Amino acid sequence: MSDDAGALPVDHQLLETLLDVVIPPSPDGRLPGAGTLGLTDTIARTVRQMPMLRPVLEYGFGTLAELAMRRNAGGWGVLTPAERAEVFAEFTATDQFFLPAFLFLAYSSYYQAPRVVEALGLEARAPHPKGYPMDEDDLTLLDAVRRRGKMYRGC
Amino acid sequence: MSEMTADVLIIGAGASGAALAWSLAETRMNIVCLEQGDWVQSTDLPGIATDWEVRQAADFNFSPNTRGRREDYPVNDSESPIAVSMFNAVGGSTILYAAHFPRFRPSDFKVRTLDGVADDWPLDYARLEPYYALNARMMGVSGLAGDPAYPPKEVPLPPVPLGKLGMTLARGFDRLGWHWWPSDSAIATREYEGRAPCINAGTCLVGCPQGAKASTDVTYWPVAVRSGVTLKTRCRVREITVGENGLASGVIYYDADGVERRQKAEVVVLACNGIGTPRLLLNSRSKQFPDGLANRSGLLGKRLMFHPYAMVTGLFPESLEGYKGPTGCCIMSQEFYDTDTSRNFTRGYSFEMLRGFGPVYSALWGMQAGRLSWGADHHRDFADVFDRTAGMVVICEDLPDEGNSVTLDPALADADGIPAPKITYRLSENSTKMMAHAVARGKEVLEAAGATATVVESPLRLAGWHLMGTARMGTDPRTSVVNSWGRCHDVRNLFIIDGSIFVTAAAVNPTNTIQALALYIGDTMKKNLATLFDD
Repeated sequence: MSDDAGALPVDHQLLETLLDVVIPPSPDGRLPGAGTLGLTDTIARTVRQMPMLRPVLEYGFGTLAELAMRRNAGGWGVLTPAERAEVFAEFTATDQFFLPAFLFLAYSSYYQAPRVVEALGLEARAPHPKGYPMDEDDLTLLDAVRRRGKMYRGC
Repeated sequence: MSEMTADVLIIGAGASGAALAWSLAETRMNIVCLEQGDWVQSTDLPGIATDWEVRQAADFNFSPNTRGRREDYPVNDSESPIAVSMFNAVGGSTILYAAHFPRFRPSDFKVRTLDGVADDWPLDYARLEPYYALNARMMGVSGLAGDPAYPPKEVPLPPVPLGKLGMTLARGFDRLGWHWWPSDSAIATREYEGRAPCINAGTCLVGCPQGAKASTDVTYWPVAVRSGVTLKTRCRVREITVGENGLASGVIYYDADGVERRQKAEVVVLACNGIGTPRLLLNSRSKQFPDGLANRSGLLGKRLMFHPYAMVTGLFPESLEGYKGPTGCCIMSQEFYDTDTSRNFTRGYSFEMLRGFGPVYSALWGMQAGRLSWGADHHRDFADVFDRTAGMVVICEDLPDEGNSVTLDPALADADGIPAPKITYRLSENSTKMMAHAVARGKEVLEAAGATATVVESPLRLAGWHLMGTARMGTDPRTSVVNSWGRCHDVRNLFIIDGSIFVTAAAVNPTNTIQALALYIGDTMKKNLATLFDD
């Protein structure tokens, strides 16, 4: 575990299972569940870049752990995936801050993971320095615009 | 500590400051520029790493309030539906701009005469045309000659590729018989003046590691510095000082270590954008200028204009390859640009087509638009949005209103303790009606192009990129801050060259016009050096 990951205000098992709640594996198995990708370091890096997320996460994860305990004394770890989804839905139905913050972190880390990017049909790489080739355009479609003639007011 | 007196001191190294520094460099005067930000190295730009889309929300966010870098200053925009976007560095906001680079149209300088609203500019399109052309060569503008929406103009480089997305949208305009044209873009589509060509990476809004996008740190500044201009970075000006004679005598600034310093100057030029310039002048109060420097008209900071933006995004049934190509430059339409008395608003707007998003931003956009669920249906929803979106921004002409203003916030300050600006702004009834018309037409054209659904965000909040009008030009000192060539009526050795001096806003991106004005002002200064401070 990196220092970044250690700084996250959350139990890592809770984080990874919660990631699987919001992004489970795709039904066809082509796309993995978010909890299986080892996204903790990526999320920690993002939280370090956006420190305003930290208190929201602390509060949210703490509340989820409490709600899980109320449901089962064993806590979040012993709940089934369906029960975790219910607890998450119960909490986010009344809290307006944690859901967008957590989804931001989940989506932004998941969709930059190489395995996911490749499964989407893209190369898992930075845009630079390779870029993307693009074909020449057929601009004959502009002929109709050209035929309209001058369309500005001269002064 | 006292420094050698500069002949010309430019404050701000963004779009206009760079152009003026380059223009004046040939005089061999001692020209100094103070910039609160630093050089941005290409290796620091997000586009070289896979987390580039995330950094757009973090340390390369448009908002200085979100970035919170030391070189940024906060802006209180809580009393505005539009939040301010800017970047502080050598190159200024051109580091993050889309490089969409249209000119104003001739009618934009004559709105009072033609449409009976606002005021005419004290100069016209013909006066600026040679400077637009010069700027096109210096920045390396790509596009396609022959657009019937404009007088003939030279375009040094071929247009950016439209790609599958652009051609899909173009067919929508064609079906409706509406104007469209490949955008003028400050992007090198071929190798140009030592700059590498665009590789369609799509990271323009977080900076261009390729150097193809014409931010002024790769266009004007290298030439200006080689020509002898002194550019000092991480130097934040606190106030402009004034001598007993009522002329500007220099500035007090904080250097990179936070040490207070002074720079004397014969001429002071403000190039700090439409927020930063009134902020600095309002922070430069003195016995002679108790309401802020150069503010005897009382107009300093007033008549703030943004361009109210709306975003209309279409969802399409097929792949559009929208992650390829310059982000903000594709095609534009000026079908509804001019006043039409049959509509319920005056003046008009442009459409500017946007590319699609990468995987991360597709997910974040889908979440914000309410089109992406978490849980069991997530992957199905994502497949509907990723590589299936194409959109446009509507850019509306904002008419000047003295109620829209920049003032000093009584509590907020930057890292050096300098009072920060506060924005007070409301959308006018005219803008509101115009946006409603534009959104309806935007949906119409997207549907004509094949969109099966549309998503609207209006007004777009984090869209205060274009900062204009807060120190307007004019011939009458009672109703304007600067004259027709940027010299302050009240202080004859003080010039303003940024978007503050705009009289009206037009309905296109302003950077090309800001720079053309800076070049025009530079030329006028050079031609009148011996009589620069005369009546």
